[in-house]
Order: sequence, then C-alpha cells, then structure tokens
Amino acid sequence: MAVIICSTPTKPLRAVVPVKGLLPLIAPSLVLVLFFAIPMGMMIGISFQSQTEGSPTLASYSRFFSNDLVLAGLARTVVMSGLVALCVTVLAYPLAYYLARATSRWRTVIFALAIAPELAGVVLRTYGWLIILEDRGFINSALIWTGLITEPLPLSKNLFGVVVGLTHVILPFGVLSLLTSLQGINPNLEKSAQILGASRLAVIRHIILPLSVPGIVSSFLIGFTMAASAYATPALLGGAGFKVMATMVYEQVLFYLDWPFAAVMANVLLILMLAAGFIGSRLESRLHQKLHL
Amino acid sequence: MNRLLTYLFRTALAAILAFITLPLVVVVAASFSPTSAVTFLPSEWTLQWYAALWDSRWLDPFLLSVELAVIVSLASGLLGVLGAYSVAYAKCPGHTAIMALLLSPMSVPQIVKGVAVVLFLSSIGLYDLLGTPGLVMAHIILTLPYVVRMAATAMFGFDKRLDRAARILGASVTQRIRYVLLPLIRSGLFSGMTFAFIISFNNIPLSVFLVRPGQTTLPITVINHLEYSLDPVLAAVNVASLLFILGAIILFEKIGGFSAQFHGGSK
Amino acid sequence: MTTIDIELLSVSKQFGANRIVDDISLAIPKGKFVSILGPSGCGKTTTLNMIAGFEAPSSGQIRIRGRDQEGVPPEARKIGLVFQNYALFPHMTVAQNVGFGLKMQGRPREEIADGVSRALKSVHLEGFEDRYPKELSGGQQQRVAVARAIAPSPSVLLLDEPLSNLDLKLREAMRVELKEIQEDLGMTFIYVTHDQEEAMAMSDRIIVMQGGVVAQEGAPADIYGSPRTSFVADFIGKSNILPASAEPGADRNLKVSLGAGKAVLTAARGDDVAPDNVRFCCIRPEAVRLAEAAGALDEPANRLTGTVQKVVNLGAYIEAWMLVDGGITLKSMIRSTRLEKLSAGCRVDLAIAHSAVQLLEQ
Ligand SMILES: Nc1ncnc2c1ncn2[C@@H]1O[C@H](COP(=O)(O)OP(=O)(O)OP(=O)(O)O)[C@@H](O)[C@H]1O
Ligand SMILES: [Mg+2]
Repeated sequence: MAVIICSTPTKPLRAVVPVKGLLPLIAPSLVLVLFFAIPMGMMIGISFQSQTEGSPTLASYSRFFSNDLVLAGLARTVVMSGLVALCVTVLAYPLAYYLARATSRWRTVIFALAIAPELAGVVLRTYGWLIILEDRGFINSALIWTGLITEPLPLSKNLFGVVVGLTHVILPFGVLSLLTSLQGINPNLEKSAQILGASRLAVIRHIILPLSVPGIVSSFLIGFTMAASAYATPALLGGAGFKVMATMVYEQVLFYLDWPFAAVMANVLLILMLAAGFIGSRLESRLHQKLHL
Repeated sequence: MNRLLTYLFRTALAAILAFITLPLVVVVAASFSPTSAVTFLPSEWTLQWYAALWDSRWLDPFLLSVELAVIVSLASGLLGVLGAYSVAYAKCPGHTAIMALLLSPMSVPQIVKGVAVVLFLSSIGLYDLLGTPGLVMAHIILTLPYVVRMAATAMFGFDKRLDRAARILGASVTQRIRYVLLPLIRSGLFSGMTFAFIISFNNIPLSVFLVRPGQTTLPITVINHLEYSLDPVLAAVNVASLLFILGAIILFEKIGGFSAQFHGGSK
Repeated sequence: MTTIDIELLSVSKQFGANRIVDDISLAIPKGKFVSILGPSGCGKTTTLNMIAGFEAPSSGQIRIRGRDQEGVPPEARKIGLVFQNYALFPHMTVAQNVGFGLKMQGRPREEIADGVSRALKSVHLEGFEDRYPKELSGGQQQRVAVARAIAPSPSVLLLDEPLSNLDLKLREAMRVELKEIQEDLGMTFIYVTHDQEEAMAMSDRIIVMQGGVVAQEGAPADIYGSPRTSFVADFIGKSNILPASAEPGADRNLKVSLGAGKAVLTAARGDDVAPDNVRFCCIRPEAVRLAEAAGALDEPANRLTGTVQKVVNLGAYIEAWMLVDGGITLKSMIRSTRLEKLSAGCRVDLAIAHSAVQLLEQ
C-alpha cells in the first residue's frame, strides 16, 4: 500500500486516492473471486447438473423435494434452530441486562465468564456436554446413584441434547447482540419511569422490553442462523439418529459423492439463511421505525 | 416485592452462569481422571493423559492447525488492510458496494462455503489441493471479512484531522501512513488478526470437508475420535488447546496492545 | 409559618473511599424555588439522586413531607424529576409520555386524558399530543419532560440542569417560563445548575455547594451581596478577590491592608468577621467607581487614584483594569457612556464605598 502511494508523493492524498485508492483492492478482490465467488457459482451450477446427460436440469431439486427423509431433516433443522434461538435469547437476556447496567467489580468477571467459553471452541464444549448428558454421564449417573431413576434418561443423541449443546455454543453471541441493544437504552428512562411511580415489573414491561425488541429480534436471528448451519454439535450430540441439513450435506459430499444433490442441499440451506436474514433485517428496521428510535 | 424480584434475578443469573461454566469444568475434571469411563467427580487424579499428548497422533494435527492459523491470520491481515484502506479512503461511488462485497462471505453459512470449495476443487480436478492449500484458501475466505471489518472500523474511527495536522507539519504521504495512520489502526488490525487466528484454529465446518488423511487439523481429529469414544485423552487435548489459544491471545496482546480498544480507543 | 417539604439531616454519601457528599443539612420550604448551585462534580446530582431515592445516603436522614424516606423506593416517593437530556420515552407519543405517571397510578382513562391536557397546557404545548419525542425540537422536548413530571401533581419537582442543552436565547426564555409554572402550581422546585446567572434569575433561595459541602445558603441578593467565602464570591458573579489582613480602625471601621501592605482601605465593620481571622477581601467590580460618578454617593468611601491598564468593551458596560497606587490591580465595571474618557494609560480617581469592601475568612 505504501509503495503504491509513494510513487506520487507530491500530490495531496485526496487527489491520489480516487484513482489509485482502488489499487490496493486488487489483491483482496482476486482472492475473493477465486476462492469464493467462482466456487459458489460452480456449486450453484452443479446443482442443475444431471448425473447422466449434459443439459441443465431441475432433477436434483425435484429429488430433494420428493425425498421424505431429506424433508424431515429440513423440518428438523428448522425446529431445532427455532428452539435454540428461543433458548439463547431467553438465557442471554438477564445476563445482558445485568451487564448493561451493573457497575460493580463483578461485572468484568461475569462478562469474561459469559464470553470466554467462545475461545474454547465448539469441540471442547460439545465434549463437555457429551460427558454430562450421556447415558452413563454426569447427570444420569448422579440420578441413578440417588435412586431417583433406574434407567438412564435419554438426554443425548436426540433433539434435547443438540438444543442444549447449541444453546451453550451460541449463547455468547446472543449476549453480545442483546447487550448492544440494552446498552443503547438510556438508564435515565428507567429512572424517569420509576420516579413516575412504575414498579420494577412495570419498568421492565413498559420501558425495557419494548425498547429492546430490536435486540431480541437480532439475538433470535443470530441464534437461528448459527444453529441451522452448525455441524459439529448436531453430529456429536445428535448421533446417527438426529440428522440435520448440515450433517446430511456432509454425508452427501463425502460418503455418497452425489455432488448435484449435495449442491442442492447446500443451496436450500443457503436460501433458508438468506431468507431468515432478510426477514430479520426487514423486521428490525420496521421495529426501529415503529419504536421511533 | 422488589426484594423478591432481585432475589429471583440473582438466582437466574447464577443458574445461567452455572450452565455456561459447567461443561468447561467437566472437561477439565475429566482430563485428570484416571479411568477412561468419565464419571462425575473422580476420586483420584492423574496427569497420564497430558503425558500421552506427546505423540504424533496429536502433535501432527496440532502443528498443522497452528501453521494454518498463522498463515491465515497473516494473509487475511494483509488483505484486510488493503481492502479496508480502499474502502475508508476511496471516495468513489462504489464505496459501500465494495464493503458489501468484501463482507459478503459472512452471510453464507460456513458449511455451504465448505461444500462450494470442495466441489470446486473436485470438479476442476485439483484433488491435490485438498489438505493444507484448500484449508488455507477456505479459512482466508472465512476470516477476511472480519479483518476487513475491524480494520475498516479502525480507519473510519481514525480522525482525518490528524492526517491534516501531520500534513501541515510537512509530513509526506508515506510518512503520514507510516507514523500516523498505521500506529493508530494497529490495535484494530491486531484484534482482527487475533480473531482470525482463533477462528481458524478452532474451525470445524469448513475444515471437515477439506482435510485428508495425514493432513487433518486438531479439532477434526478430536471429532473423529469423539464419534467412537469419550477417551479422557481427548479432554486433555481440549484443555491443552484451550491453553494454547489463551497463550496466543496474551502473546498477540503483548505485541498488538489491542485490548486498549475495549477501553475507549487508542488515543 | 412555612412548612418544610424536604429535609436533609447530616446526609453523607460515600463511593468507595470518596466522600462525595459530606454531612449536608438542608430544609427546603414548601412552594419555594430552591437552586443547588455549584461547579461540576461537587455532588449536586448525587444529592438529587438521594432525594429521589436512586441512591441511599451512607449516613444521615432524608425526610419528605415530614417522613423518613429510608427504604422507600423512588416510585413511592411521589416526587417529580426532570433530567438534563429529558429522558423522554422514545417509543411513546407526547400524550403517552405525559400520561405515564397517571397510568402507573391506575387512574381511569378520562382522568389521564384530563391530566395530560392540563399539563401540556401549562407548558404551552397543546396540539402536540400525538407527536413522538424525536419529532420535537429541543425546547419542545424540554417542555414535554416538565409536563410529564408535573402531570401526577407531585408536591416537589427535582430538576437536574434541565436547560443546559438549550441555546442561550431559548434558555433565557425557558427560565421565565419555568418560574411562571412553578408559581402557578405552587410546587416546590429543587433546581440543580452550575450556571449562577440562572440560579440568581429564578430562585427564592440558593444553596451553593463546593466539594460535597454547603458553602453558603440564602436568598440570591444576600449571597451576591455578602458572600461568606472567597469561593462563593468568585463563583457568584465577578469579583476582585485579594489577600488581605485587617485591624480595628477609627469609627468602628476596620483598616484593611492589601497585597504587600502598601494599599490600605477602610471597610465597614461586619458583625460576623473577627479582624484577626480576615484572610481575603472581596470587592465587586461595579463597586469600583469613577470618583466623579460617585460624587452623589451618600456613604463614606475610600478614595484612590490609579492608572487604567486595559479596557474591554462589553456593550452596555466596559470592564477596565486599574493599577491602583500601592501596587494592586482592580477590575472595574463602568457604564459605557463614559467610554470616551477611558483608555489605557489614563489617570483616574476611584471611589469604593466602605460597605463594598467585604472581608472573608477563607
Ligand atoms: N455511582 C458512582 N460511583 C462512584 N463515583 C460516583 C458515582 N456517582 C458519582 N460519582 C462521583 O461523585 C462526584 C460528584 O458527582 P455528581 O454527579 O454528583 O456531580 P455534579 O455536581 O452533578 O456534577 P455535574 O455538574 O458535572 O453534573 C463525581 O466526582 C463523580 O465521579
Ligand atoms: Mg450532575
């Protein structure tokens, strides 16, 4: 960058930039096109390929939408992601509210506790939940030891286990997006409401909740999209019986080598994400307008 | 009434924090447990699993992951600065479009990017690029938007009057970039690169498509084992790699001093 | 006899090791406009927060309408509060904002509507019911904030620098309006500000705070006319403050030596200052008069001669710095009609009334 600019050091920066300012873009754009745009384009192209003939076809798409197993996987993905988004938002809200308002020394500690697990990566945390939720794991062995149950509860290898694991993985993102929104609410608004006679509950109901709806929406959206495209946690905590889109795509690519079908699944997942993102951002801007923020 | 609410709120907070920390505590405990069946609260402690880490079974994937993370954070740092510089300084009409383009990989789920890269390499017959080259390529696409965004934020935050002040004092363009711009965006850039390092080191959804026998990253190696057993050595691997990440962050912080940016910027 | 609306008894507030409010005692009479005036960081907002119930005093007692408020939450104190940045609820209309307090009391809808229109009328904001706060100008938002605070008819309204976000013209207009509203409603106003002019213009009483303690309390004219400390003298209005020492003089007056002792003035003896304790002397600039204009002065005065050093034209007045014989510099405020006679280097005769030489202990 420095090299490009110093070739005309006498001209003012402003004058140099519009022409040459775009030169530094060449490298990142090239990388982006080569490693991202072309592969994405090709993947979309492959989804229209047929395994036998040369001309483009919708055969793989119709296979997708007539395959009950795959459709069940899609439905499972949507339900799982919705539940995860809900759990993330519900658990993140009190934490984010505390972080937005607290001034004590504990704030830093709790903030670190809430965010630091993100550094540990998904595998460590999923492994932890496997140990906890397994048939012979932490919870079941404790419950059997106390005599409350004799047979282990089915806590893993099912929807429950996956939702718990993913909620844990995604929670920090929910906290961060709610935190941004809650920090944007002037604390004096709460004080004003209180001095006008509002109880704690009334303050939450009339002031904090309505004003943080955009944060709630974005936390839900982050939860949904991250859950829907998560691979490791459903693969490990869901087991063979709990297939979602991400794990099914993986199998298509690496075991069945059915590329057009894998491309179709990837495209459906992509469209699901983009649709969720689009609806979410529309909703958010509508809310901003409605709340007169 | 208010006291009850406060009490309820505190209890909820404590429960949520317990939920957050529980799996981490359990993994750390498991890494010291002598039996391979992981029970809750083992009665004896052992370091045997940590001793077992010194084995090419774990060392090779670890080294590959480190190599990958270093290459990826350096490359995305360089590319990110180039991109962010153009976006922040070029006053051309396409300015927001360029930014959107540079950030666009973010809106594509990782698993889809992984499929795209593996299908691309396979269908043009470049199977040989699976493994390290493919991993580098995919991870750069993953991390580039984050670095661009953090560097661009730092550059937009950069007070352009400082540039004018330096200019009126007679600094040339190169001098201004060298002595004014770079020092001021350094912390933003470094935090972007640290972020890239962590994302790359821990990545699963992209790597899972691109590894090949003999060139497998650490997280993928761990998952492959986890599908069959809960061997406590895996707990030791996980704890060790978490410690590695923490060490790396501290090191980067020493070099880049980016944490200042969480306390109100580098002024 | 006046009733006391709010009383602070030896109230202190400590944050960590810092004593922000230090043993303050106040009695605020019902229906009066009382200002708490002081420089930034002296603990004004903290005091207000304790009265409102957002902070508990570290020690001492706060009484509202005769009742100890310990453990009473803000929502039960029945007082009003106006913030500097208004803190209007952005997601509610003007009417909803103003009606919020009445709604929280569970009043029926007609009564709320009634209260809203009455409150909006008293701030001259009829017809704005359905606007949202961001659709209003700063001054209008300010009025809504006041309307919202007075709608539930609290007996006391706390205002924390409510005008400091407005431009000068609007601020001056709002001063008058706030004072009128206060008089119309007969409400007690506790008005926090660091603008001494604002406090002088509106208040029945002024409480000057400095570093967490009350420096002086009294009617505006008293505080201006006889400041008790050099801090108050300096903070309220302009003044010449000079290190001084005093000894008894003729006619029950005091002989005051200024500076290195070369300049000597005579001061009327006050009751509250012992000559040995005098450390400073304060002379208001308007009391440093040209001798010819002071000819009509019917009190005994000090006569001095000096040289004009610098003249600054302020429009209606000029400010002149005079180097008086004896080596001290005095600032003087003079009506502009005499401007043509004054310029740097002129010799002038000055007169300072004995009663205008104020003696201070600290
Ligand atoms: N919650 C708190 N914790 C610690 N210190 C505080 C807290 N609130 C206020 N302070 C300190 O108390 C001092 C007085 O603050 P306060 O807000 O009362 O000042 P003020 O007189 O209202 O000033 P200003 O005119 O600037 O509003 C300040 O030094 C501030 O830093
Ligand atoms: Mg204040």
